[in-house]
Amino acid sequence: MTKNVKISIKNLYKIFGPTPDVGLEYVRRGMDKAELLEKQNHVLGLRDINVDMQDGEITVIMGLSGSGKSTLIRHLNRLIEPTDGEIRIDGEDIMGYNEQQLRTLRRERMSMVFQKFALLPHKTVLENAGMAKNIRGYTTSDFEADARKWLARVGLEGNENQYPHELSGGMQQRVGIARALVSDAPIMLMDEAFSALDPLIRSDMQDLLLELQEELQKTIVFITHDLDEALKLADHLVILKDGEVVQQGDPQEILLNPGDPYIVDFISDINRARVLRVRSVMAQRDNGDTSFAGDISENDNLESVLLKSEGDMTLRFRVVRDGEHIGTLQMTDLARALVPTAASTERNKNAA
Amino acid sequence: MATYDFVFSSLGLDDWCAEGKSNAPMSMAQLLSKSKGEETTDVSIWELPFPSMDALNKACPAFPQSRELTKGLEEGFLAVKDGLSVVLDPVTQPLSWALDGALYAMLSAPWWIIIPILMAVVFLVSKSWKLVAFVALSFSGLAFIDYYEYAMQTLAIIFVCAFLCVLLGVPIGIAMSRSDNLQRGMIPILDMLQTLPPFVYLIPLIFLFSVTESKLYGIAIILYAIVPVVRLTNLGIRLVDKDVIEAADAFGMTARQKLYKVQIPLALPNIMAGVNQTIMMSLAMVVIASLVSAPGLGVLVLRGIRNLELGVGLVSGLGIVILAVILDRVTKASLARINAAQKQ
Repeated sequence: MTKNVKISIKNLYKIFGPTPDVGLEYVRRGMDKAELLEKQNHVLGLRDINVDMQDGEITVIMGLSGSGKSTLIRHLNRLIEPTDGEIRIDGEDIMGYNEQQLRTLRRERMSMVFQKFALLPHKTVLENAGMAKNIRGYTTSDFEADARKWLARVGLEGNENQYPHELSGGMQQRVGIARALVSDAPIMLMDEAFSALDPLIRSDMQDLLLELQEELQKTIVFITHDLDEALKLADHLVILKDGEVVQQGDPQEILLNPGDPYIVDFISDINRARVLRVRSVMAQRDNGDTSFAGDISENDNLESVLLKSEGDMTLRFRVVRDGEHIGTLQMTDLARALVPTAASTERNKNAA
Repeated sequence: MATYDFVFSSLGLDDWCAEGKSNAPMSMAQLLSKSKGEETTDVSIWELPFPSMDALNKACPAFPQSRELTKGLEEGFLAVKDGLSVVLDPVTQPLSWALDGALYAMLSAPWWIIIPILMAVVFLVSKSWKLVAFVALSFSGLAFIDYYEYAMQTLAIIFVCAFLCVLLGVPIGIAMSRSDNLQRGMIPILDMLQTLPPFVYLIPLIFLFSVTESKLYGIAIILYAIVPVVRLTNLGIRLVDKDVIEAADAFGMTARQKLYKVQIPLALPNIMAGVNQTIMMSLAMVVIASLVSAPGLGVLVLRGIRNLELGVGLVSGLGIVILAVILDRVTKASLARINAAQKQ
C-alpha cells in the first residue's frame, strides 16, 4: 500500500536572535551551534530539516531537551515562524498562507495535545473537549453528543461536568486528547503529550493512542524524549540532535543499524527483545525445510518468541501474515539480533 | 550691592538689569528690609547664598523672582482654564448626572426597600448568610443612631465612582497588557496618581469646575481610585498561563476570542483583587472629598474637626470603618468564589 505524504518539511532552518538572516548565512557556511552562540550570539534552533510525514502514520520526533523538537512541531502550525525553508501540508505551501487561511488550517486541519495539558481551568471537561468546535462558532448543544462520545472513548464517561482541577494528571490529558479528537482534524500534533505522566499511566495512554490510531488512521506527529515511547509508537522515527536530523526511518531499522554514535548510546539501554519484531530479523521464506516448531506473527516481538521457544536455540519458527507463510525465523538469528551494539559495551566497560 | 552682581556685569547685562524691575508680589521680609533701609553688604563665604532666583534677582532686578514661577503657573492655568472647561465640562457632565441620580435614588427610596436590596446584592455576590446578617445589623445600627442618610450618601458615591473606575480601568489595563510601549508610558502616570497627596487633586479641580457640581469630587475620587484596577488588570492578563495561550493559538482562536474566552476569565482573580482595592480607595477619598462638598459621612468627620465635636467625629469615623469592612468582605468573598472555581 502506498501512502501519500501529508506533511513535507524541506530545508527548514530556524535561528533565534535579533538578526536571524545573518545567522542563517553563517550556518549555511557550516558554523555549528556552539560557535554561532559564542560568536554571533544567535541560537541555532533547527538546521536543514527534511522530513516527509505519511498520511495515516505516527511520525515520532525524538531528541533530548534542547534538540529543537518542540520548536520543530510548532513550525507545523506556524506557532513559530521559520527563518528559511518550506512546509507543505497536503501539497500546499503553508508559508504562503495569510492570517485567515492559517486560522482555518489551525481550526479544521490540525489539532494539538500539550505536555502541560493547557486546558481552560474555568470550563467543564465537556466544554474543554468541545473547545475546537466552540472556537469555530458551534454552541455546546451542537457538539455535546460528539464531545460525550469521544470523552467516553478515552475513558472519561461520567466526568463531563467536572472541572479540570478535579481530575488527575492522566485524566486531564485524556481530556486533552478528547479535545483534539472532537476537532475532527486529520492531523494531530502531540508535544511531549505523555511526558508529564507517571510511567504506568503513560503506558496506558500509549496503548490508548495506538488503539485510537488503529481505528482513526490520523496523521500523528508525536514529540518525545523517551526512546521506549518512541519505539512503541513510531511508524517513522526522526532523531534530532542540536537542531539537526541525525537519522530517520523505520524504528526497527534504526535499532538494527544505528547510523551515529549518538544513537548507539541512546539505544544501548533499551530492552531489544521487547522492541525488535519478528519481521525485522526473519529470513526469507525457505521452501526446502518444513519442520517448524510453531507459527509466529510477523509483528510479534522477540521476547514473546523467546518465551515460546523456552530458550531452545535450535528451533525454527514459521512466520505468517494473515495465515500466509512469509518467512522463517531461526533462533540463532534471533540471538544475533539481541547482541548489543559495540559502543554500548564500551560504555559499560567504562562504567565498570 | 548683591553677591551675584559679578555674574551680570561680566556677561555685560548691566543695562538690561537696570531696565527691568521684578513685578512679583513683595514678601514681608523684603518689605521690612526696605522700610529699614538696610543695604546688603558683602557676605562671608559661610553665608554665601545659593544662586537661586531670588538671590539673582537681588543682583539684577530684571531677573525673575521664584514667586513669579508659581505665579506664572497659576496664570497659565487660569489662561487655559476657560478653553479646557469648554471641552471638559460636557465630557464630564454625565458624571454629575450619575452621582446626583444615585444620591437621589438612594435617599428617596425608603429604608425598608434599600436595606433588603443591599442584603440581596450581598447574598448574590458572596453566597454567605453570615455576611448578609452582618450587613443587615450594621445598616440597622447606623439607621438607629440616625446616620443612615449619611451612610447611604457615601455608599451611593462609592458605587458610582467604583463602577466608573472598573468601566474605564479594565479596558486601559487590557490595552496596557497588549502593548509594552503603552505600559512604559502608563506606569509613571499611575505611579504619580498613586503617590500624589489626595489633597493635591482637589486644587486644580476647584479651578476647573464649580464647587457646587458633584463631578468635582467624582473626578477626584476616580483619579485616585482607578490605579489598582488598571495595574492588576494589566498584571493579571500578563500572568495568564503561556501554555493555555499557546493552546488557544494552536486551535485557531482570533485575538478577540482569546481575550474573552481565555485572558479575561483567567485574569479575573487579579482583576477582582484590583476592584477590591479600587473600592477601598474610593472610600478613603470620599472622606477627603467632603472638603469640596461631597456629601456623606465625611461631612460629619469634617464637622467633628471644625467644631471640635469629638463624639460626632468618632461615631462617623466608626461608620466609615463599618462601611469599609462590609465592602471589603463582600468583594473578598466574591473573589474567593472565583478563585475556588478556577484552581489549576
